[in-house]
Amino acid sequence: MNRISKISYLFAIYLFLYAPILVLIIYSFNDSSYSLVWQGFTFRWYENLLQNRELQIVAVHSLMVGVLAATGATAIGTLAAVCLYRYKFFGKKLLHALIFILIISPDIVTGISLLILFSTLKVPLGFWTLLLSHITFSIPFVTVTVYSRLTGHDKNLFEAAKDLGATEGTIFRKILIPLLWPAIIAGWLLSFTLSMDDVIISFFVTGPEFDVLPLKIFSMVRVGIKPEINALCSVMFGLTLVVVLIYQLVTWKKQS
Amino acid sequence: MKKYLRLGLCGLLLFFGPIHAQENILNIYTWAGFLPEEIIRQFERETHIRVNHSTYVNNEVLYAKLKANPDSGYDIVVPSSYFIARMVKQGLVQKIDRSKLTHFNNVDPVFLNKEHDPSNDFSIPYLWSATGIAVNQSYYPVSSITGWKDLWHEKLKDQLLVLDDTREMFSMALITLGYSVNDTDPDHIKEAFSKLKALMNNIKLFNTEAQRSIYLDEDITIGMGWNGDIYRAGLENLNLHFIYPKEGFIILLDCLAIPKSAKHVENAHRFIDFVLRAEIAKQISLESGFSTPNSAALKLLPVTLQNNEILYPNKKTMERAKFQMDVGEAALRYEKYFELLKLEQ
Repeated sequence: MNRISKISYLFAIYLFLYAPILVLIIYSFNDSSYSLVWQGFTFRWYENLLQNRELQIVAVHSLMVGVLAATGATAIGTLAAVCLYRYKFFGKKLLHALIFILIISPDIVTGISLLILFSTLKVPLGFWTLLLSHITFSIPFVTVTVYSRLTGHDKNLFEAAKDLGATEGTIFRKILIPLLWPAIIAGWLLSFTLSMDDVIISFFVTGPEFDVLPLKIFSMVRVGIKPEINALCSVMFGLTLVVVLIYQLVTWKKQS
Repeated sequence: MKKYLRLGLCGLLLFFGPIHAQENILNIYTWAGFLPEEIIRQFERETHIRVNHSTYVNNEVLYAKLKANPDSGYDIVVPSSYFIARMVKQGLVQKIDRSKLTHFNNVDPVFLNKEHDPSNDFSIPYLWSATGIAVNQSYYPVSSITGWKDLWHEKLKDQLLVLDDTREMFSMALITLGYSVNDTDPDHIKEAFSKLKALMNNIKLFNTEAQRSIYLDEDITIGMGWNGDIYRAGLENLNLHFIYPKEGFIILLDCLAIPKSAKHVENAHRFIDFVLRAEIAKQISLESGFSTPNSAALKLLPVTLQNNEILYPNKKTMERAKFQMDVGEAALRYEKYFELLKLEQ
């Protein structure tokens, strides 16, 4: 009895999490432009997607900004976390608190303040402003993730390494990075996701030459979401699955 | 490691190089679904101007984008008529040089020199749509609905879909009461508010985005709708009808305009002239599903479409059309009453 209720509880949770995605995938095969009633099976929307250059371009834009922003934010965020954990300096507590403030500050505030900054500096809006903004709002998330992993380790580890003659650089490369690896990957994935689905900040900081997927999809709401979008989202979900599988495979091989 | 880094950097440069290398560009910002990709490609082939096309979801978003950053860099925008008036007043758009538009005469005079831009110095009509009543004949006899006032009938309790849009709702009430859709008289607006309050019992849903699929799937079978949406839904559900209310109806006219901050004004004029061509305007209308104000393009459309009473109502019906104008400060009053109305739900 206990077992059954446990399983059904788990099932309910996963159903709750995955049902919306499942619905989206099913509708990407629905043979109707607007109706939400099932009209028959078709691959039409995937074929249309292959020919829709505009949609492909914005999807590539989003992936590109996502990967670059996540990488940049992970590099800076990890360093920041290590710095906050290992070294003592003036204003450290304040800096630590400021990181948390960035996490809870609303997107709209970040978006508008970045826009004001870019327009006072006369930076033309486009790819670079978008990338910088995405790196900016992702950094705190990486820092927090990595920092919380750091606090789980014994500080004496680094002292011991120093005793044995390791330089700061060696400690960072040979001890910190391997220890923090899971947190760094988690931080990267988190930033990537944040970047991929941000609408509000992107709206303010991107220019006419660089449209991204979330903005594109959002703008289509009024004229009706086309099934091509469902197809595109299904493809992206598939890609995510592949990435997760590869990650699992790699870590699993290492362990065994 | 260094080698890979260098390779990666080269790749990046290759990727981004073209964006900055080419100066001959045009930045277009339109409603989603307003500008088919083939049209853009054809323009690029003919003029060798590279087009960047972004899309917005409503006039407010466009307005915010232009207002938030005076240097936004868009060369072509497509606001609705009543937003044109506001943007002209605030100096957000610039004068269009009519001498560069060889196909301007294609535009139907019905859509020219309206109140929002009295001599069309700032805006060129692009596409239009109308708000009317959608009825499914298998649920209601079509002949029983002739005007807005029929929506207040008590047998329609909890049946209607209405547009989730302040001006649309108040325009309907103002027309029914016999006032102008651009009325700024506080008493008239209040009267319209009471009229709408009386309609609340009949309203099942406020929705703008999904009206097409809702009517098509018969989740709701009577209510307000846009002609283009109902026409398209009607292709898949033959029981759907669109009625131009006898008291009058609103025409939403979306117009091409050039923002003040545009950097490629010359290219913008070439683009406007390009989409004014009969053949191009026809394709845009066919792809987007909205009606074209281009009379030369209309003649090229399939005869069944030209004679379609939903997309192109006859002259007599068109006499009842009303154009929306900017209502200035009164907009806040409308908003306030609309909020109150929705709180009633």
